[in-house]
Parts: sequence; C-alpha cells; structure tokens
Amino acid sequence: MRWLSPLEPNDRHQGVRTDRFDGIGEWVLETSEFREWRGGGGGADKAILFCSGNPGVGKTYMR
Amino acid sequence: MGNTSSLVIDSLCDEEGEEESAVACLYCDFLAQQEQTITNMMGAILKQLVGRGDIPKDVREAFEKGKKEIGGRGLLLSDLMRMLRIAISSLSQVFICIDALDECLPRYLPELLKSLSDIVRECPKTRIFLTGRSHIREAIQKYFAEAVVIPINPNTGDVRNYLEMRLDRDDEPEAMDNDLRADIEKVILDKMSDM
Repeated sequence: MRWLSPLEPNDRHQGVRTDRFDGIGEWVLETSEFREWRGGGGGADKAILFCSGNPGVGKTYMR
Repeated sequence: MGNTSSLVIDSLCDEEGEEESAVACLYCDFLAQQEQTITNMMGAILKQLVGRGDIPKDVREAFEKGKKEIGGRGLLLSDLMRMLRIAISSLSQVFICIDALDECLPRYLPELLKSLSDIVRECPKTRIFLTGRSHIREAIQKYFAEAVVIPINPNTGDVRNYLEMRLDRDDEPEAMDNDLRADIEKVILDKMSDM
C-alpha cells in the first residue's frame, strides 16, 4: 500500500498507545460533546470535534 | 495531545463491530513535515480505510487509471479524493482522527481542511476528530463553523493518577514514605492550580 502514501500513522499510533497510562484522560470519552459526536447525531454540521489545548497538556505531559 | 488522540482512536476501534465502520488516523509532526504533503496525508487516510480488507475493485480501478494518466509519478489530490469517496461509500461509518493539526505545514493546512470539509459534505457518515493548540481553532472554524470544541486543560484527577503511578514505580522505594509522598503530591497539585 506504500504507493498510496509513505506515511505510516498506524506505527506512530502503536508507539503512542504503548506509552499511554491507563485511566488518564478518559474523562474526554465521557463528555456529552464526545458522545454526541460519536453517536453521529446532528448530521454534517456536527461532524467535527476539536480538542484544543496548550502544548504539553495532553501530549508531553501525560505521556 | 497524542494522549487524547490515541485514547479516542482506541475507543473508536474497540467499538468497530460488525457494522462496516473504519477508523483512520494521522499524526502531524513538526519533525516530519517534509513528507507530510497534502497528497501523502490524504493517501495515508485512504490507505487505512481500504487497508482493512480487499481493496474495493473501483478504488483499484480508479488508481490504475490515474497511474496511466500521470505516468505513475505520483497521485494528485483529486485522484485521492475520488478514491476516498469511493472507499467511504462502501462503509457505513468512517472516523478520521488527526492529531496536532497545528504541526501541519501552514501551506498545506487550508487544503487539508478544505478536503476534509468536502468529504464531510459529500459523505455525511464521516466523523472527524481533531486535536491541536488553541490558535488553530480559527482556521478550523473557517471550514467548519459548527465544530464542537472541547478544551483540554491540566486536570487534577489525571495529574494525581499519573503521580501515584510514577511514585509507585520509584527507583528508590526505601527513601519514600507516606509523608514525603503526600508532600510531593501537594506541591505539584498546588503548582498546577496556580497555572
């Protein structure tokens, strides 16, 4: 499949998830915003969910 | 925010059941901007959507046709978008998760957002999850006025859990006692609330 793209985001994802700590950040999955987005209600208008934060808030800090 | 993204990606993948749904992810990275061109990024998304099983016949045909036309030198964004539409139409639900959007090269960001908004408009069963620093919000809202925003702030519960985990794994457990432990937690959590 390399002909489609040299990028391998799945490899990167495997790396991140191995370094992740259980139970941290899971509150995001419980928010009503996430649940509504996940459930697919609201049509195309509600198709985008954006988690915003300063550098280090979720990436460097928690990993 | 790789932490949040990877959590969300895993939670979506866990729920991928019998229904024909697929999750594609993309990690933008300052250190890998060279190869993060718009076509490589969209290609990486397509690759994951078709990579779960056999490549749908029409996607392959679209690719073979494109290869002839452009001499196999590389795919154009329009080819990838055509293939993406075909791939998505064969699935009942598609999630695209992009981490650290602010690390995408500025010259590709508008094209990336425009491509995503075209996909969402044409394929309403697509859900898009983005993370990034706050300043990227305006760019996102230019293309997605209705985007729902969740601010990720340092969260006391998360930091406490993390600290406890790290203290449990301390290299020198003999130097640790409950008072020192409580002190460390207090100082760090107090600092956090000052931030």
